[in-house]
Amino acid sequence: MKTLSRLHEKLSNGEFAVTGECGPPRGSSKEVIQKKIKLLNGFVDAVNVTDNQTAIVRMSSIAASAHLVAQGLEPVMQMVVRDRNRIAIQSDILGAYSLGIKNILCLSGDHQKFGSQPDAMNVFDIDSINLVRTVKDMRDKGKDMSGFDLDVAPRMFIGAAANPFADPFEYRVIRLAKKIDAGADFIQTQCIYNMDRFREWIRQAADEGLADKVYILGGVTPLKSAGMARYMNNKVAGMDIPEEIIKRMDGIDKKNQADEGIKICLETIQELKEMDGVHGVHIMAIEWEEAVGLIVEQAGLK
Amino acid sequence: MITASQKPINEIAELVEPYKKVLILGCGTCVKTCFAGGEDEVAVLASVLRLKFKKMARSIEIEELTIERQCENEFIQEASSGVDRNDAILSLACGAGVQAMAKRFAKKVVLPGVNTSFIGIQESPGIFTEECSGCGNCGLATFGGICPVTRCSKKLLNGPCGGSQKGLCEIDPDTPCAWHLIIERLTTLGQLDNLKTYIPPKNWNTSLSGGPRKLIREDHII
Amino acid sequence: MKIHNKPKLTLFHCLNSFKETASMFDGCEVKTVKMACSSMTKDVHLLRAFESGADAVLVLVCREKACRYAEGSIRAEKRVNYVKTILDDIGMDGKRLNIFNTSSKDSGSINDIIKKTLLELEIIGPNPALNHFN
Ligand code: SF4
Ligand code: SF4
Repeated sequence: MKTLSRLHEKLSNGEFAVTGECGPPRGSSKEVIQKKIKLLNGFVDAVNVTDNQTAIVRMSSIAASAHLVAQGLEPVMQMVVRDRNRIAIQSDILGAYSLGIKNILCLSGDHQKFGSQPDAMNVFDIDSINLVRTVKDMRDKGKDMSGFDLDVAPRMFIGAAANPFADPFEYRVIRLAKKIDAGADFIQTQCIYNMDRFREWIRQAADEGLADKVYILGGVTPLKSAGMARYMNNKVAGMDIPEEIIKRMDGIDKKNQADEGIKICLETIQELKEMDGVHGVHIMAIEWEEAVGLIVEQAGLK
Repeated sequence: MITASQKPINEIAELVEPYKKVLILGCGTCVKTCFAGGEDEVAVLASVLRLKFKKMARSIEIEELTIERQCENEFIQEASSGVDRNDAILSLACGAGVQAMAKRFAKKVVLPGVNTSFIGIQESPGIFTEECSGCGNCGLATFGGICPVTRCSKKLLNGPCGGSQKGLCEIDPDTPCAWHLIIERLTTLGQLDNLKTYIPPKNWNTSLSGGPRKLIREDHII
Repeated sequence: MKIHNKPKLTLFHCLNSFKETASMFDGCEVKTVKMACSSMTKDVHLLRAFESGADAVLVLVCREKACRYAEGSIRAEKRVNYVKTILDDIGMDGKRLNIFNTSSKDSGSINDIIKKTLLELEIIGPNPALNHFN
């Protein structure tokens, strides 16, 4: 099978892939994106472009992804089902592919309750697994959801998210299997800090025979400070930062905490590289894109 | 039942302000059970409005009445003389009751006194929870009797999102994650396999998305 | 505008919480309403007391543990708090309505409560719903 994107190619060659993340600006500035592109270009295989993350209005992920394409950086366009019904979703997928966007990550999306506009009506017409299946049918059958034959099918490399740290834990692998069955080619996980739990999840996935059916990219986020660690653990949905990590950050002088965060991140990446069933790493350096080059170089991923 | 809660008193006062004679009309079914519009609430509201208008040195005549159901013509009939005597009706029924009154008394102003909320139950004394959104195509059999369309904040049909932690929904520490409950219950019932099959996009045509709905029972049409 | 000379109080009480003693009501006009149990404190009765002219309404109930019906006084307190918010909403001042745990044997503290209420009324003034129409 011909590969669908550079990310796909890298993964199918059995190489350890690296993806980064770029949050579009809260405005129409092309320059902000270009700055982020410069910081990431050359260090990662592809970059996730978030879709109104945490339900805060930002430049659309399609438009921002198109800017990446224009600069030769491959985007993974994130798409949430919170804001669009199936008609808009399919239309956006067709449009995105026409703009050269070849990877998509299918998500439910954070609830708007904590976003900048909690008064909004949400959509949730289809769920994230339905979205995966929709993109797959558009790609492989060349049909939209109504069964209509598309003139050109969007041939996208399809991703989905997994959170091994959410509950109920026993169900997490069933859900992974469902995403794979629906058509997910790759999985990006929630940030890993609790390695024991991640290892257990990968083991269960392997037991279910899922390890060879999908590429798994482990998520990492370098912690900037002990305060950030505590905040994420308490406030960010589905985040699990063990007490040891928070203590470790606490034990470091404030001005060196960022370095320690990067060190923890590098240790995690090292473990991921050696773990069977893990095919790459997804580095989410939230508003800290400068850190990505450093991490990639020091982890020997370049 | 349909749940509702009374509108803020000052909003109600503004609604009735232009009228001299107002009938506060309660409904003895759903809204009574959720303490929004039964005879007790009618009495309290009448008293509060009288106090409020007296304080404003405005006179208003308030009549109180509660009928069994405002959503059925048979019962609405009982209100007709009260309706005739007054300039406006402040209905404490759900939105359906208010509209049924408006339909029946075409020339009378009918005002809503409650905010109608949802189809739910009284989970424990004084606490009401939403259980069904009337989607028109019930899938409770698959989900162990717990509705993800209504009780999952994202209407997910294929399992919990990544925000579910310790049995709680990501939106609020007071909201249980519907999917956690579904999984627990299906585990108890030995039906966890229900969740392994892919559930295709829901047909919303039977819900409000398909436009206002109508139910027709041919055998009852005379 | 007519303001009654002596402040008017309405006093709801349960069987164990109150017993009138001499000079208890000096300086005010009091209407007492006996309830079989504090749990019978109903919002509409409190409001109607204001409609019929009370400047302040007092609810005296027995101490929670002493209540003959479990939870009766807790319920009463919730009702009272609810009506206080309504009074605030319509600009009548919720401070006109208060609930106290008392015992019929302790007339001293009941006296104090009444005195405090009269002092409070000097600050917040008479029932504002009656100034115009009584
Ligand atoms: S599936 Fe539809 S009909 Fe059934 S409980 Fe849920 S919303 Fe109501
Ligand atoms: S946490 Fe549970 S109930 Fe809340 S949105 Fe996610 S799956 Fe639905």
